[in-house]
Amino acid sequence: MSTSTDPTATTGAAGALEAVKVYGEGDTEVRALDGVSVSFDRGRFTAIMGPSGSGKSTLMHCLAGLDRLSSGRVFIGDTFLDELNDARLTELRRDKVGFVFQAFNLIPTLSAAENITLPMDLAGRKPDQGWMDQIIGIVGLADRLSHRPSELSGGQQQRVAVARALASRPEIVFADEPTGNLDSRSGQEVLGFMRYAVSDLGQTIVMVTHDPNAAAYADRVVFLADGRIVDQMDQPNAERIIDSMKRLGS
Amino acid sequence: MFRIALKDLFARKRRLVTTGIAVVLGIAFLTGTQLLSVTLSDSIKSLVGDVYSGFDSVVRSPRTQETPFGQPIRTLVPDSLVDEVAGVDGVRAAAGVVESPGPQVVGDDGKVLGGGFGPPTLVYNWIDDDALRIGVLRDGRAPGADTEVVIDFRTAETLGKQLGDQVDIATTQDGVRAYTLVGISGLGDDGSQSTGARPLLFTTAEAQRLVNQPDQFNYVVAGATDGETQDQLAGRLSQALPEWQVLTGAAFTAESQEQISQFVGILEIFVSVFGWVALFVAIFIIYNTFSIIITQRTRETALLRAVGATRRQVVVATLVEAVVVGLIAAVLGLLAGLALAALLLVLLSGFFTIASTTPGLTPGVVLLAVGIGVGVTVLSAVIPAIRSSKIPPVAAIGEVSLDRSGISTSRKVWGALLIIGGIALIGTGLAQVGPNPLFQVGGGAVAILISVAVILGPLLAAPVSRVLSAPFAAGGRVAGRLAGENAARSPKRTAATAAALTIGVTLVTLIAVVASSIKASADDAINQSVRADFVVATASLTSFGAIPPGSAEAIRDTPGVAEVSPVRFTLLRLLDPVGVAEASSTPTTTVPAGQLGAPPDAPVGQDDFALGIDPATWFDVVDAGELQGSPADLVAGTMAVDRKYASDRGWRLGDRIPVYFVATGVQQIEVAVIYDQPLGQAGIWLPLSTFEPNTLPLFNVDNQIFVTTEPGADTAQVQRDLDARFADLPTVQVQDLQEYVESQTGPINVFLGIVYGLLGLAIVIALIGIANTLSLSVLERTRELGLLRAVGMTQRQLKRTIRIEAGIIAIFGTLMGLVIGILFAIALTVAIAADNPGVLQFRLPVVQLLVIVVVAAGAGVVAALLPARRAARMDVLEAVSST
Repeated sequence: MSTSTDPTATTGAAGALEAVKVYGEGDTEVRALDGVSVSFDRGRFTAIMGPSGSGKSTLMHCLAGLDRLSSGRVFIGDTFLDELNDARLTELRRDKVGFVFQAFNLIPTLSAAENITLPMDLAGRKPDQGWMDQIIGIVGLADRLSHRPSELSGGQQQRVAVARALASRPEIVFADEPTGNLDSRSGQEVLGFMRYAVSDLGQTIVMVTHDPNAAAYADRVVFLADGRIVDQMDQPNAERIIDSMKRLGS
Repeated sequence: MFRIALKDLFARKRRLVTTGIAVVLGIAFLTGTQLLSVTLSDSIKSLVGDVYSGFDSVVRSPRTQETPFGQPIRTLVPDSLVDEVAGVDGVRAAAGVVESPGPQVVGDDGKVLGGGFGPPTLVYNWIDDDALRIGVLRDGRAPGADTEVVIDFRTAETLGKQLGDQVDIATTQDGVRAYTLVGISGLGDDGSQSTGARPLLFTTAEAQRLVNQPDQFNYVVAGATDGETQDQLAGRLSQALPEWQVLTGAAFTAESQEQISQFVGILEIFVSVFGWVALFVAIFIIYNTFSIIITQRTRETALLRAVGATRRQVVVATLVEAVVVGLIAAVLGLLAGLALAALLLVLLSGFFTIASTTPGLTPGVVLLAVGIGVGVTVLSAVIPAIRSSKIPPVAAIGEVSLDRSGISTSRKVWGALLIIGGIALIGTGLAQVGPNPLFQVGGGAVAILISVAVILGPLLAAPVSRVLSAPFAAGGRVAGRLAGENAARSPKRTAATAAALTIGVTLVTLIAVVASSIKASADDAINQSVRADFVVATASLTSFGAIPPGSAEAIRDTPGVAEVSPVRFTLLRLLDPVGVAEASSTPTTTVPAGQLGAPPDAPVGQDDFALGIDPATWFDVVDAGELQGSPADLVAGTMAVDRKYASDRGWRLGDRIPVYFVATGVQQIEVAVIYDQPLGQAGIWLPLSTFEPNTLPLFNVDNQIFVTTEPGADTAQVQRDLDARFADLPTVQVQDLQEYVESQTGPINVFLGIVYGLLGLAIVIALIGIANTLSLSVLERTRELGLLRAVGMTQRQLKRTIRIEAGIIAIFGTLMGLVIGILFAIALTVAIAADNPGVLQFRLPVVQLLVIVVVAAGAGVVAALLPARRAARMDVLEAVSST
C-alpha cells in the first residue's frame, strides 16, 4: 500500500499510478500504456487526446474497470480497482461509474426511460424521481421517454446515454468519443449537456476524443502519445489544442 | 465459392456441431432400429431354421383361425394320423407333436416365471427320434414317467435347478405340481442355443393331458428315408392323405421364419416412427440455425456480392455448407446407430441366443443414413439459402440488424392454407372419407404442426413471451423484463425454436389424453356394467386358460357367494355380407410354395372376438341394459349381440347369421337376444351351449369367473375364502372390482411407458434446438450484452436473463403443444365416439399435463445453462469495442 502515500490518491475522483498495459509477447509486444500516472479532479471535465494508438482508449478502459492493467494501479474514489474480483468490479461500474460510448449505447429492447434507469434497476434501487426529472429536463427528452432506441435519432440516443450516465449520480462519468457518430449540431448539444453537468451539477467527467472542438469543452486536456502523457493544458480552446497536437505530431 | 463455403464452415466448428446434433440423433435412431431388426431377424431365422432342420415333412389340419397375435390357430390332428403317415412309402419315421401353451413354471418365490410380455412357455411331448424332436438333450435322459420333465438350460439356470431336483409347474388340472427334472435341453447342434421361449418336455400322455388335448397332436412330422427328397415325400404324403395339409420341412421353416420377420418388422416400424419424429423436429432446428447464421453473415454475403459473386453462387455456397453438415451428421448418426444396435443386441443376448452381437452394416442402411441426413439438412437450408441470395451488395456497409420483419402476406396465406388444409385432412380422415384415412390424419397433423412454426407461433410469440415474463419482471426486475423482450423481439425465431418442442409435447399430450380417456372409459364401463363383487381371473396374458375346470362349482360352494358366472373367450369369423365385404378389401393369404394337400378351409370373412357365457347367471352379474328377447332364449345355436353392433351390420332378432368356427366349420347362429350395454370389446356373446361344441379345447376353459355375494355377506371373509381356494395357483387371481379395472387397463401403462421414453428423444432434440438458438442469439447480441455488463449487470443477472428467456421459449412451445395435443385428442375421441358411442369418453389427465409443462420448462432452463455460461464469460471490453 506504499502508493497510497501519493497525494493524488486522496484528492482525485479517479486516477492511475504507473499504469502499464502490455499486449502480446516478445517481438509482437506492444506497450499500450507505458507508465502513466494521472489524477482526475472532482467536479472537473477532463479530455484525453492523442493520435490513434496512443493508448487513450486503453487508459480509459482500465480506469473504468473494463480492462485490467499489466502493472500499476488505478482507482476510483478510495477504491483500487485491481483488488476487485469480477463481481465487485461489476458493482463498482454499476454504482460508481457512468458510461457514454461512441455508438450502441442503448439496449434496443428497452424504452428510453428504462435505459436511463437501467443501472439502478440492475442494482435493485429506486431512482430518485426528483433527480430523474431534472436530468430528463436538462437533456430535453421528456416527450421521448416511452420510445425505443430505434425510434430515436442518433443525437437523441446519445442524450439518453448521457442521461443514463448521470442518473445514478456516479463518482465519475467516462465518455468514449461520445460525439464521434453525430453531426456537429447534435454533437454540440451533447457536449453542452456534459459541460452543464460538470459546471452546474458538480459531476466529474473524463472524455476520450480526437476532436479538438470537443476537447475545448473540457477544463483540462491530457495528451497521450506512445502510451505516455506528453502534455497537459488547462482552460483549453480549439486553437491551442490544435497547436499542441501539431507540436506533438512533429 | 465452394472453398469459401467450406472455409467458413470449418472456421466455426461449434456451429457445425450444434446444427448437426439433431440430425445425428434422428439418423442414429432410424439406422439403429434398422440394423437391430436386420440382425435380430437374421438371428432368429437361423435359430428357427435350426430348430426344424430335422423335419422333412409336416402334416397338419387345413382348418385355421387367424388371430391378431401372429400365428393362426389350427385344429388338431388325431393320434391315428401318426400311423397313417408312418405307413406311407418314403417315411423313415413319423411322430405327433404337442406344441401348446398352458402350464407355467413356478419359481421358489411362488411366482410364475416370465409372466407378462416375454417369450412364451410351451409344452412339448418327448419324441424319441433325435431328428424329429425339437432341441438336443444336453444332460440327463428322456422323461420316462408322467412325473418327469425336461427343461431348457436357461430355465434351469434361472431356477438354479440340477438334475434330480423338483420343478414346480402350475397346471389347471392339479394346481402346482412338482415334477422331477430328469433332463436339460437346448437348441443348436450342441444344445447351447435358445430362442428365449421356455420349452417343457413331458411324456406324450402327460403333455396331451396338461394342454387339454387327449389323443390329439398339433401336427405330425415325418423324416424321409435315405435318397427321398422333401418334395418327393410331401408329394407322396399329400396323395395318400388328401384331407390333410402337407408341407415340406423347408416350407414349414420358411413359414415360421416369415411370421417372425413380420413381428420384428412391426416392431421396427413402431420404433422407426420415433426416428422420423426426431428428424421432423430436426428440420425445424436446422432451418432455424441456418436462418440465424445467414442473418449474422449478412455483411460477409453482401461483400461477396459486392466483389462479384452471383446470387446463384451465394445459394450454392449455403447449400454446400448444408451438404457437408448433413454428410458429417449422417456418418456420425450411422456410427451412433451402430453403437445403439450393438448395445441393444448385447442386452438382448441375455434372453436368447444371438448369432452375432455386431450389427451387420448393409449398403442399404448406409444409403438410407446418407440420403436422409443430406436430404433433411439441404431441405431445411433451402429457404434460408434463397433468402441469403437476396441480400443486396449495399448491405456490406450498413449496420447488421436483426430480422425483425413482420409476418409477410405470403406467410399468412401459406399459414392459413396449412391450417385449413390440415383441419380438412384430419376431418375427412377421421370421418373415413377419402382414399387413405390414416395418411390423411397423419398428413393433417403434420400440416398443423408446421403451421405452428409458420404462422401461429410468430403471431403469438411476442404477446405470449411478454405475458410469461411478467412474473419475472414484477417489481422492476430487469432480468425478467429483458428476457421477455428478447424472446419477443424476433417472433419468427422464437416460434421456430419453440415449434420443435411443440411437436414432441403435442404427441405426448395426445397420447396421455387418449390413454387417460381409454382408461376412464374402461373404468366407467366396468363400474357401470359389472355387478359382480369379485372376478377370478388369470394373472397375466400368458397364463391364458389357467383357471382349472370345476372352479366355478367350487366357488359356488363358498359361504356368502350368491351368483357365479364363468366367461370364456374365442375367435370366430363372420360370414355375413358386412363381414365378407370387410374381408374382401384386405389381401388374402396365398398358398406358399411347398404346401400341398387340402387348401385352407376357412371361407372369406371378418375375424372377431366373442365371449362364452352362461345365460342363466350372466345377466345377474353384469348389467347389459335393456334386452330384446330373453336370456331363456339363449339355447344351443343362438347368440346375444350388442345393439349398436347389430344395427351396424343390419342384424335383427331372429336372423340366422353364418359364422365360421375353426373347430366345426360354418354354422348358422340365430340372434336370440339384443342387449343395450356392451362390456369391453366383444359384441357377440355365445351361450355356453353354442360355445362349447364349436370351439377348440384351447378356448374351452373359463377365462374369468364373475362372483356376486349375498346381501349382507361379509365380503372380506368371502374374498379370504376365495383367495384360500386358489392359493396353490399363482396363475389365478381373485380381484375385487377395482383390481379388475386395473388389470384390464394395466397393459396401457406398459405401452405408455415405452412411448413416453421414445418421445423423450424428440423433446431432447428440441431442447438442443433451444440451446442452439440461444447460443447463436448470444453471439448476435455480443455488443448489447457487453453494454449491459459495462453498465453494471452482474454475471449472475446475465445468466438469469438467458435462463428466463429459455424458460419462456420452452413454456411457449409446451403450451402450444399442449393445446394442439388436446385438440387432436378431442378430434380423435369425438370421431371414435361417433362410431362407437360409449366406447371412449374424453378425460383430461390434469396432473400428468401439469407435470409435462413443468418438466419441459425445467428442461428449457437446463438447455440454457451452456449458452448462459458462455454469455457470462464474455469479455466485456471485447464486446463493447467490437464493431
